[in-house]
Amino acid sequence: MRFEPRAPREGINVSATHPLREAALLVAGVSAIFAALILVVGWSVEWAVRWIPPELEARTFGDWAHHLSSPEHEAERLAVEALARRLAMHWPGAPYEFQVTVSDEPEVNAMALPGGTILVTKGLLRESQSENELAFVVGHELGHFRNRDQLRRLGRGILYELTASALFGFNATAPEVTGFLGQMADRGFDREQERAADRFGLELVQAEYGHVAGAGRFFERLVSRTSGLGDLAAYVSTHPASSDRLEDLRDYAAERGWRREGVLQPWTRSD
Amino acid sequence: MEALTQLGITLMVLTVTYLVGSAIERRHFDSLRKREARLRAFPTVTFERLPEGWQVADSGLAMGSTVVSLDYFKRFLAGLRGILGGRVRSYEPLLDRARREALLRMTEGAVADGYDAIVNVRLETSRLASSRGRGKGTAGVEMLAFGTAVKLVRQP
Ligand SMILES: [Zn+2]
Repeated sequence: MRFEPRAPREGINVSATHPLREAALLVAGVSAIFAALILVVGWSVEWAVRWIPPELEARTFGDWAHHLSSPEHEAERLAVEALARRLAMHWPGAPYEFQVTVSDEPEVNAMALPGGTILVTKGLLRESQSENELAFVVGHELGHFRNRDQLRRLGRGILYELTASALFGFNATAPEVTGFLGQMADRGFDREQERAADRFGLELVQAEYGHVAGAGRFFERLVSRTSGLGDLAAYVSTHPASSDRLEDLRDYAAERGWRREGVLQPWTRSD
Repeated sequence: MEALTQLGITLMVLTVTYLVGSAIERRHFDSLRKREARLRAFPTVTFERLPEGWQVADSGLAMGSTVVSLDYFKRFLAGLRGILGGRVRSYEPLLDRARREALLRMTEGAVADGYDAIVNVRLETSRLASSRGRGKGTAGVEMLAFGTAVKLVRQP
């Protein structure tokens, strides 16, 4: 037998594709899938929201958020709930029986939950310097209910989670991907939704008090304090671009000829 | 903002691991080529039986192994591949290096011990479980090359 030494051949077991080219192709492909996913989820949610009547939503989610409220805030909870219902009187045919839940968090935040529950944080109540100011924040959340943003957010969150885990559940990258998608879904509402809710909130404040004084005050403080955000960070992250919105509110009030000066109702601040 | 910071950090880690990883890979391939050229005349064959005419004076087990793991960049590419499907190109050079390194180590060991050839060469791979992710993750892969090293009777 003859043994003839040969050098091992290269280029068979290793692809010639440059790693960066490979990276570009893969990122483009996966981005296309994500874009399609976001579109499809967006469409299905729009479609579902149109077909689920508010009454069904209210019955389904009824008072699930009731338990979130801690009993020591009951007096405040009732006060905010009364305010919310007073504001809702200016929304004829509101399909929800609005309820308020006070959460213990020190961050300033408010949220519309499916079924007609408005969640306000302890931090928000502490930060509010007049009833008018708080009324605008509550009115803003009522605006989300009117446009059914809360249901959209819920639907989007569920669909993203489901599709992502169905698609990538088995994959090594899955936690990062689902985490990212979840973050995107959790970013809250987009600029248009916020603007619509702002305007509706302002309308309610105008209808209730006959002027819109104090409505923007909350934003003004947010904007002037953006350097040392502190607990306002939460509200800014779910309600972006406060300075733009403040400007839009001023324009909207001026357009309608609403007074921006007036007597503010006191809000008994808690500690 | 937070998402942007996260993205920035991820991109940075990707860039660094790509640069470092490809530099290491290039050097390793150079070293492989050089050592393979040096050992080219040493027969390592996969025959189970000795070729006719070989007279064995002594034999022993020759073994060489490497453990390789992924860098972040390669893992990232492979993760995306797991979504789209297709050849996992980023793993190929890594495993090629592992195979050749294991074979070289086996051969170098046999040469150092004064053997003349290795027959019945085999390659085996095993996955090392990671403590992360309930044993689903991979800490790395071991590539083992082994065979029977033989000393031949010199014909006078
Ligand atoms: Zn909002």
